[in-house]
Amino acid sequence: MATRRRTIVGSPLTPTLLKELGVFDELPAAQRDFAPDGTWSHTYRVWACHGYRETGNRDVGFLRIERAPDRAGKTFTLKVDQQIVHAEGAANSIHADIECLNDRLGSPVRWHLSSRFVGTEGEPRPVLRVEERARIEGDTIEVTTNGRTFKRQGSSRLTADWCLFEALQRLPFEKESHPVFDLLEGLSVLRTGHRLSYRGTVKLPPEGDIMLHGFHRLGHGALPYEYWLDERHRLVMVVSLSRAYVLDKEAEQATALELKRERGNFQRQKRGRERGGSQ
Amino acid sequence: MSEKHSTQSVSRGMDRRAFLKTSGAMVLAGGGLVNSQLVSAQSSGSNILLVITDQQHIDTIAAGGCPHLETPAMDKLKNRGVSFSMSYTANPLCSPARSAIFTGRTPSETGVYVNGLPIRADIPNLGQWFSQYTDYETVYAGKWHVPKSFTSSIAGFDVVQTGIGGQGNVCDTETSRACEGFLRNRSSDRPFLMVASFLQPHDICEWLRLNTRKPDRLRYQELAGELPPLPENFGFDVREPAVLKSMRQRNEPALGKWDEQQWRYYLWSYYRHIEMVDGEVGRILQTLDETGHEENTLIVFTSDHGEGLGRHQMVRKSSPYDEASRVPLIVSLPSRIPANLTDNDHLVTGMDIVPTLCDYAGIDPPDNMRGMSLKPLFEEESVAWRRYVVTEIPGNVGRVLRTQRYKYTTCVNDPVEQLFDMLDDPGETTNLAPSSQYASILGEHRQLVREWESRLDVAPNVPNPNAWRKG
Repeated sequence: MATRRRTIVGSPLTPTLLKELGVFDELPAAQRDFAPDGTWSHTYRVWACHGYRETGNRDVGFLRIERAPDRAGKTFTLKVDQQIVHAEGAANSIHADIECLNDRLGSPVRWHLSSRFVGTEGEPRPVLRVEERARIEGDTIEVTTNGRTFKRQGSSRLTADWCLFEALQRLPFEKESHPVFDLLEGLSVLRTGHRLSYRGTVKLPPEGDIMLHGFHRLGHGALPYEYWLDERHRLVMVVSLSRAYVLDKEAEQATALELKRERGNFQRQKRGRERGGSQ
Repeated sequence: MSEKHSTQSVSRGMDRRAFLKTSGAMVLAGGGLVNSQLVSAQSSGSNILLVITDQQHIDTIAAGGCPHLETPAMDKLKNRGVSFSMSYTANPLCSPARSAIFTGRTPSETGVYVNGLPIRADIPNLGQWFSQYTDYETVYAGKWHVPKSFTSSIAGFDVVQTGIGGQGNVCDTETSRACEGFLRNRSSDRPFLMVASFLQPHDICEWLRLNTRKPDRLRYQELAGELPPLPENFGFDVREPAVLKSMRQRNEPALGKWDEQQWRYYLWSYYRHIEMVDGEVGRILQTLDETGHEENTLIVFTSDHGEGLGRHQMVRKSSPYDEASRVPLIVSLPSRIPANLTDNDHLVTGMDIVPTLCDYAGIDPPDNMRGMSLKPLFEEESVAWRRYVVTEIPGNVGRVLRTQRYKYTTCVNDPVEQLFDMLDDPGETTNLAPSSQYASILGEHRQLVREWESRLDVAPNVPNPNAWRKG
């Protein structure tokens, strides 16, 4: 029997390596009037790597972030939509509306978050649904969920992982010291002691003419995150170990296809088992 | 030689006698194990939450003394209950270990001697047993792996979330969010048995494949002063079974010819993986608290197997050394189980989980348990306990027998045995087996392995079924 050849990737994922692995071909063109502090919408394909070049790598979902500034310019709103595809075609969808301060790290002020699951045939699982409204009060977070209100530990230097997708675009491309901050991952899990650093530029491809600027983030509760932006300060790629967010206008459709593929495979296996069982 | 002996537990933190005095009445009122027949649990039974991580070594909890990470959720669990320091997996590989956790039987009995095999059909899993003999709601979220890693169909359980192979960094969040949703929305007055089975820190396997090549310089220069030191037992005794040598040679550090800095960066990265899953465990603990379930939920926290951590220059799992074989096991239930105690005396195994949960649910466990209920250790002053635990080596190619003082390893078709004095040499750096001075101790441990093996009902698909029964 022929064995499937598998080659270890061997090195950390970079924009160049992601292109080499076929994760993307071209980056989508920026909208003509794109401004980091304006109104925009970015959709990222969430791609996961198993560590081999040939097998086990796939799209697992999409993340869309939309920014809308308020009239006074003191705050802005981020609308977040994320869908992650699970084995056998189950899925989780997150929707969040976040009001953020127009400060250096886009600190969240208040938000509404909804988490919903569907089963392997796309059926809603209402028993798993979570709806949260929250607001920051000093270093605590007041959260109302399922009609009850709780106070949770926050931080006086807080931002959120999704907020950084916005804030990074407003940072200058220069080596400067950034203050340490804490991070509310998924607007719910507190990760402490994070810091950002500018790490310089790479060309894509190495001899090409697209220049990307990188930042990295280090801190507790996360592997290093690398953020890659084009020269218009548009965040085009985010990588943390085996997971990459790559700007892709077709990401939502790709996720729908992945979901269909998972469900199709699962139904085929199920029918196969049933046929086997009835013989 | 008897398997059990009587031992007086010595524990830190709250004095066990004082705890037993204050909690005794409550324990009796709660009802003990009914030995003679199976009974249905009452609706007033404690809820049960079984939290399993994947590939977590025991020395990776801040409250347990690890200075290289922050683990507020695991610290809370540790402070809430009893942690066992001599806690061994039944097999340092995912599927075999999980088959033992969910059945109370050895992997050679369940038939799951390597990854990706199903549990033998005539051995019930925990969910099936609870579904049949209790009124518990049995709920499962996350990794299963006997045989499929992630599946919506696990006998005896309502699966609320599956997961994504090889991507704990993505799917663990969904596992904890699903558990949160279940806890917030449930209206049943039946108790629940919920399994939250996380994939992290298993993503260290992806890390190894994405960091095999030694870089010219550290990718994040500011980490240079923060990397953990090499472990004290980085050096090792080369007198080891061939299977270990070959395991080491196949792994990434050997392939990439790692230097000290790369080893230390690997350690730093592994600790971040632990912190990642800690946050997800924290979400569930917070939800238990916010939904009023914290006081009446028995929580068992464990991992399927450990991680090399650079000790003996090993990464990953499968080896008989303590880094791969020793796992966290923390059990807590406010007012019923002492808080903030470390049990350094009792040898325990993942196979103890099924009989323990059955005991707390008020039912007998399935027949032929190889594990023992831990409940008497929390509630009685003197308990007859086992003298040794046995860990099987993946592929059913070896046995590791741990007694209070020694650890003995033997592999099939390999003349090299290992014997370590775990009191004088807890890092397992000097193999005493070749020394004539230890011949009688070696002989005694060989005999204990034979004694253990003679009781097992090894599954027909398992190789080397009689390898350790012979004299």
